[in-house]
Amino acid sequence: MLKSFIKKSRIKSPWIMHFDCGSCNGCDIETLACLTPVYDIERFGIVNVGNPKHADILLVTGTVNHRNKKVLKNLYDQMPEPKAVIAIGACGTSGGVFREAYNVVGGVDKVIPVDVYIPGCPAKPEAIIDGVVLGLQKFAEKAEG
Amino acid sequence: MSNLLVVLVLLPFVAGLACYLLRASFIRSLVVLGTGGILAVASIALMMSGPFTYSPEPVLGMSWDSLITIADFALLLVILFYGFKHNNLLIKLFSVAQMAGLVILELFWVDHTAHVPTFYADQLSLIMVLIISIIGSLICIYAIPYMKEHEEHLHLETTKQPRFFLFLVLFLGAMNGLVLSNNILWLYFFFEITTFCSFILIGHDGTEIAIKNSVRALWMNSAGGVAFVAGMMFIYASTATLDIQALLTSGNTATVGLLVGLAFVAFAGFTKAAQLPFQSWLLGAMVAPTPVSALLHSSTMVKAGVYVVLRFAPAFAGSFVATGVALCGAFTFLACAALAISQSNGKKILAYSTISNLGLIIACAGINTPAAHTAAILLIIFHAVSKALLFLCVGSIEQRIGSRDIEDMRGLYARMPRTAWITITGILTMILPPFGVLLGKWMAIEAASGQMLTVVMLAMGSALTVVYWARWAGSLLDMPGGEKPAPEEQATLMRLPLMTLCLGSVVLSLASPAIYEYMIRPMFVAAPFTVAGGVLSGPMGAFAIYPLFLLLGLGLLYALRVVKKSRGMTYAAPYASGANVEGSNDGSFVGPMNAPVKIQAGNYYLPAFFGEERLTSLANIAAIALIVLMIGGAL
Amino acid sequence: MTTDIILILIAIIVAPLAGGLISGIDRKLTARFQSRQGPPITQGFFDVAKLFGKEKMAANPWIIFCAWVYLVAAALSVVLFFLQSDLLLIFFVQAIGAVFMVIGAMSVPSPFSQVGAQRELIQILTYEPLLILVFVSIYLVTGSFSIDQIMLVEQPLLFKLPLMFIVLGYALTIKLRKSPFDFSTSHHGHQELVKGVLTEYSGPFLALVEVAHWYETILVLGLCALFWTTSIPAMIALVVLTYLAEILIDNTMARMTWRWMLKYVWSVGLALSFVNLIWLYAKV
Repeated sequence: MLKSFIKKSRIKSPWIMHFDCGSCNGCDIETLACLTPVYDIERFGIVNVGNPKHADILLVTGTVNHRNKKVLKNLYDQMPEPKAVIAIGACGTSGGVFREAYNVVGGVDKVIPVDVYIPGCPAKPEAIIDGVVLGLQKFAEKAEG
Repeated sequence: MSNLLVVLVLLPFVAGLACYLLRASFIRSLVVLGTGGILAVASIALMMSGPFTYSPEPVLGMSWDSLITIADFALLLVILFYGFKHNNLLIKLFSVAQMAGLVILELFWVDHTAHVPTFYADQLSLIMVLIISIIGSLICIYAIPYMKEHEEHLHLETTKQPRFFLFLVLFLGAMNGLVLSNNILWLYFFFEITTFCSFILIGHDGTEIAIKNSVRALWMNSAGGVAFVAGMMFIYASTATLDIQALLTSGNTATVGLLVGLAFVAFAGFTKAAQLPFQSWLLGAMVAPTPVSALLHSSTMVKAGVYVVLRFAPAFAGSFVATGVALCGAFTFLACAALAISQSNGKKILAYSTISNLGLIIACAGINTPAAHTAAILLIIFHAVSKALLFLCVGSIEQRIGSRDIEDMRGLYARMPRTAWITITGILTMILPPFGVLLGKWMAIEAASGQMLTVVMLAMGSALTVVYWARWAGSLLDMPGGEKPAPEEQATLMRLPLMTLCLGSVVLSLASPAIYEYMIRPMFVAAPFTVAGGVLSGPMGAFAIYPLFLLLGLGLLYALRVVKKSRGMTYAAPYASGANVEGSNDGSFVGPMNAPVKIQAGNYYLPAFFGEERLTSLANIAAIALIVLMIGGAL
Repeated sequence: MTTDIILILIAIIVAPLAGGLISGIDRKLTARFQSRQGPPITQGFFDVAKLFGKEKMAANPWIIFCAWVYLVAAALSVVLFFLQSDLLLIFFVQAIGAVFMVIGAMSVPSPFSQVGAQRELIQILTYEPLLILVFVSIYLVTGSFSIDQIMLVEQPLLFKLPLMFIVLGYALTIKLRKSPFDFSTSHHGHQELVKGVLTEYSGPFLALVEVAHWYETILVLGLCALFWTTSIPAMIALVVLTYLAEILIDNTMARMTWRWMLKYVWSVGLALSFVNLIWLYAKV
């Protein structure tokens, strides 16, 4: 019974860590807008913790380049299981318009496994919330498996 | 009885001489070990035999009183000689003043035909004898390998250990004599011997700063000696007796002369206990080798100062002198706790903490209720054990790492795991329940509740102590996870006293209900506390010793079990904003130009709030004002 | 004896549940003040359960040890409170937990953890003397430090000790980690030290710390409740109003510096204490 309560709690209390890889900050502004009273994702129990050791879900925006890929990997490794990754925006999904640039590695999934891709440039807060909710379901399935 | 007294008071003098004259280090070690063991056993036997009164028979046709008088003047002449040798006007003045006072007292005033029982022991004295003999012996035993290493470190050609052990061991006899004395002149004589031992031992290393600090200690303690002589004169003028017990039990209301005398004696106790504004001699005494700091300057000699105040406390109960003593003690407790926060030198932290706790004990003596006296005695016992332990730990650490700064002790667990754990245990016994020091502190605050200024100062001081202890304990563990600490090598004779004192501090705290019931409660007509089921209850509140030990102990064991089970896990690197150096666990991160940057941490010492330069002069002025208040309040 | 056991069980089991609910209500009210919906009031339990289900990850074994000792000490202090024992003793037992949390944080070579631990020590330095003075003032009015004696008082303590209640409010604000005194760690997501003293506590160990915090919340609110023991509705009203005031202060004030806290809280707290104590001494 306790185990099922813990499983249920994983969906009810997803703590996010938001990391801006190489973003222009467009997606970041939209992500942080979700925390404002207009969209208020805290009603889902979502808290923006700045510390990967406390986080369940890693929200990544922006392209991965040769310098921040190590940081991204490090943050992902420091998150305790179970965890999920959500790539936000065109850049996070695939590198966006910067895909061909010499310093860009590509989307987030070049470095760490991604569970949900949220396209957009920038992605709308509604889309982000939709993606996070989708990610929670995947997260719960992952935790069970 | 007389045999035990001979053993406890005279044997150390003989043993000290033996250490000085027999030059082989192996024999010296044996003498110290043997003396230590005999003293410990004798003190326990004395405790078991209970309170007593005793006067030694005349020897060689001369009464012991005359011998002591002669020795007294001889000692003062020696001190005067050192005053000339170091060209210090204050020492010369003070020793001459003491001689003059003694001449007047002994030759013109005292009626030598009156019989004064020489020794009297009640529970307080017997407990002090236990502390001196057992803890003192452990420290002397620790000193054997410590001094050997110390002299190797200094590359000395000729060893100075014979002189060192002469005074270290002899000192134990002087302390035993002090706490057992009933004749005030005898108490004064032993008091002066401890002053002299302290002077010699502080200056042991012979460096310029050691000599300077030893001279300062000598003149400050001699000032105390002058006050003591003045006090004796006032007391004798009012009561016409040298008998301390007669003075305490006479029950007549204290006259102005008597109160002034008692205030002077309390002043002498203050200087001996390095209370404000005399704390600088104790801080300067930290240059001495660690066994000196542990023995004289934390667990025994400075306890002689508080013992004197505590012993005479019933005589000034209810007068303004008592309030003055309480205020002086409480203020020292507060001010030195504040000053300790700004220190990073380990021995200075311990010194300030010692002075602070002595102030607490003196405040209890000033409050003068049975509950306060119980608190004072408990604090004396437990502080002596824990503080001696901590000083010995710091000595051990200093010899290994070459520094006594607590910042250099960061992550000590990786290099010296056993000593680090013992130090942490010692620190925790100083600040947390259910250990004895906290029990005493709890009792003191509850006993002081009737005096507003005193209790406010005690409350604030008590909060300050947590800060400087907790950060020291935490920083000892500051190391990357998963590293196996190197096994620690340590001389057996150093390890044994450390482990004994560590175990003692915990076990004695567990035994505190029994200590109260059998050793302290018999002192009082009206018992301040009752013990039932390991809970110490008084009219104001209760401290549940056994239940707390049980529950906290279980919690501790459970936590340890959880830690043991998690030994297999890989330890994560600390969070460093994602820039941890690949594969490293110690928090170093990739910095400018991709170069690794090592983490450096330090404690907050709050110099702007608690800096020594700022606070010391303010505190000294306030303390002098309070002392003047105390002495003037007698009038 | 049986009442004792029931009280112990209430203390160990019901108190943290109440503490969790209070933390949830806190978040809901804070959200409402900020014109948003906020999480359900049972959110605290979901958080703790989720944390217990996380992978065990720690920088060293001391973090684990210290988290457990913190929990044990906090629970023990609440048990002692419910058993109506000595106030000073309860205070010193709760201090065990605070000290161990700091030691755990200091055992990790991380700048966030280290600075957070130093700030936590300064917070302890700030509220400890004031709390002891509150207890001394309670003794002066009731003649005892034991809660069973204190509860027998005829007139609510608030009438004789109004200023001490304000001083207790300062200690409460610091202990509950509310702005302006939330710089060693705070409940809000971000701060300049990441999560300060709690940065390196993660997963199940963070859950232990959170439950210990619930115990501490109940303890401090219990201390507030002692100020009006003559009527239960009034006691509840006092505690509710105090907690509402805390939430209001939290939402209206910015986080200050520890220097400001030390100077301001000590000077105001000591001044208030002195005035109240002098008044009590003069009457006694």
